[in-house]
Amino acid sequence: MRMGLRHPLVCMALVVCTLACATAQGQTNARQAPDAEDAALQLADQASSTKEQARDWHFSVEGATGETEQRYGLGRQQDQRLSLDLQIDTPVGAGWRAVLSDQLDQRWQGQFNDARATNTLKEAYLSWQPDPTRAMDVGRINARYGVAAGYNPTDYFRSGANRSITAIDPSSLKKNRQGSVMLRGQTLWSSGSLTAMASPHLADPPTDASFDIDLGATNRQDRWLVALSQQLSDTINPQWLLYGEGSQAPQLGFNLTGLLGQATVAYVEWSGGRSASQLAQALQGLDDTAFRSRLATGLTYTTEQKLSLTLEYDFNGAAPTQDAWAALGRNAPLAYAQYRKWVQDRFDLPTQQSVFLYLGWQDAMVNQLDVNAMLRHNLDDRSQLAWLEARYHWSHTDLALQWQRNSGGPGTEFGALQQERVVQVLLRYFY
Amino acid sequence: MSERLMMKNWNSLKRARAGLMLLGLVALAPALATPNAQDILAASDAVRNPARPFGLTTHLVEYRNGKETANMSLAIYAKAEASGGQFRNLVRFVAPVRDANKLMLKTGNDLWFYDPSSKASIRMSPQQRLLGQAANGDVVTVNLSLDYQAKLAAEEDIQDGDRKQRHCYKLALAASSPDVTYHRIELWIDTSSNQPVKGKYYSESDRLLKTAYYRKVEKQLGADRPTETVIIDGLDPNWVTVMRYADWVWRDVPDAWLQRDYLPRFKAE
Repeated sequence: MRMGLRHPLVCMALVVCTLACATAQGQTNARQAPDAEDAALQLADQASSTKEQARDWHFSVEGATGETEQRYGLGRQQDQRLSLDLQIDTPVGAGWRAVLSDQLDQRWQGQFNDARATNTLKEAYLSWQPDPTRAMDVGRINARYGVAAGYNPTDYFRSGANRSITAIDPSSLKKNRQGSVMLRGQTLWSSGSLTAMASPHLADPPTDASFDIDLGATNRQDRWLVALSQQLSDTINPQWLLYGEGSQAPQLGFNLTGLLGQATVAYVEWSGGRSASQLAQALQGLDDTAFRSRLATGLTYTTEQKLSLTLEYDFNGAAPTQDAWAALGRNAPLAYAQYRKWVQDRFDLPTQQSVFLYLGWQDAMVNQLDVNAMLRHNLDDRSQLAWLEARYHWSHTDLALQWQRNSGGPGTEFGALQQERVVQVLLRYFY
Repeated sequence: MSERLMMKNWNSLKRARAGLMLLGLVALAPALATPNAQDILAASDAVRNPARPFGLTTHLVEYRNGKETANMSLAIYAKAEASGGQFRNLVRFVAPVRDANKLMLKTGNDLWFYDPSSKASIRMSPQQRLLGQAANGDVVTVNLSLDYQAKLAAEEDIQDGDRKQRHCYKLALAASSPDVTYHRIELWIDTSSNQPVKGKYYSESDRLLKTAYYRKVEKQLGADRPTETVIIDGLDPNWVTVMRYADWVWRDVPDAWLQRDYLPRFKAE
């Protein structure tokens, strides 16, 4: 088998080798010049003293250009995108504040006149805080829960939230999503909080119309959630959640993080309750309601060289077994397509088990250069998604190069995707 | 025994007692003049950290090989815990603009990072750094006397960060809690004012991580306090971070705000 630079394993190996070289170089620099401290103090005497002011608004523009290699004989495709991202969070009277977050993505495929706009109203709500321990919010709110990095079983409002996907890394997916219209109340005490929210059915079905606020995606049924956090010790702060939607039985959720020494964070995120299987829900088949669990658990380890490595195991007890998944892809293409669309919309795992690996390296060899890498490996069908990013920061500008590859056999989670390989360059300017 | 002999013996005894007392005073003198090392450290903490909840702005400029490579502003709110007295810190990023309004909440080793654009609160390990060369523990307010056991190693004259000679206590600090950024510290504290002058910070493997100079003393919130720290990397002395403290103000933050679940709501005054 030929393994070129495009192969994720080769790229990962390169990252690891360069890390080792950088560490060795750091050790050889250990000697200090005797007057080094004087020189440092002289440098500090000349330090600039610009004063930055906090602002209520943030605006950025991102341009992207890329090429996608496609499966099924569709060849290569050129893509360009221009995105405008605005966030406002401002007081509007004593105890009141208004929050607005909106992103407009203008895409071109191949030719300039082949353009398409997608506006995502991420948040628009009013918040009222009559005293330091009570608050109420109303409007479109991005209510996000969960402590895991790759899969969040307790992020109950993720369904229908990703309207316009610009990159597939977890950070981008969390940023570019729309909230649900809801009424939310919160009470806080010194060691915990209780939050309750209700999100009504407002529209159906979802739409991809350019400037629609798409309530059919986020408010297609009545939903509610109660979250309780209570600090049990200096470092143990668990969170319990109870979530309900439509006629489904309530789901119980649990989040817990812990420190293992100075460099490692461990986490577990669990959700469970009685529900029909994903296949039964997607295909509207026989009611097979049973108690089903979803779980994400992992570790993040950080080295002294600012390299963080996350390894996470993900489990979805409502997804088909390995055999059922293989049979679905092999024998029932229509049902398979319908199921995949349903899972994609729910932002859930299509199969029971997967592994998520994420590497983030700040100031990688070069100051202000971040290198990030991600691998999602499906343990049931052995397919995988690999993603690499190099991102350089200037004071107001980010330049990023991203590479992505979906690999696997026909009918597998990643091997069946139309996109086989994506390369894109992104330039973002922050005003 | 004759009276004369008795008088002679009595006088000898008096002389011996006086000699013993003098000897005792000489022996006790250093102990009376030098306070306890832990007290010196606590007094130095009080110079760095105001006694009531407060806020300030920290401006960080980072240099590599003499060239400015990063620039960052943070708004910091600090409040000592009612039990224990260690500080809880809420840090809001002001600049660079890409990081604006991100938050870091630190209570001992309990460290959370919140990004308003993703609404995600992420638990971080103490080793994870958000601030370039400076450790998270460098920018927040910390009472060293609560986390370290101090011993008086020496009294010596050193050059301070403003290039003046200062007579200092040299304290050797050993971590008494596993929840600290540095395993051991050498700290020079001015004998007359208890102002911290210089620190050397070491890892668990006894590697020098950084040298810090505390300088530019100004009257802030009722006391003379250093308003600038110069951090020199232990491995690469050409890697320098200057931290300037400004906008000191008494500011109380409700206890209920210093927790993960309040981070999405936090709005600076």
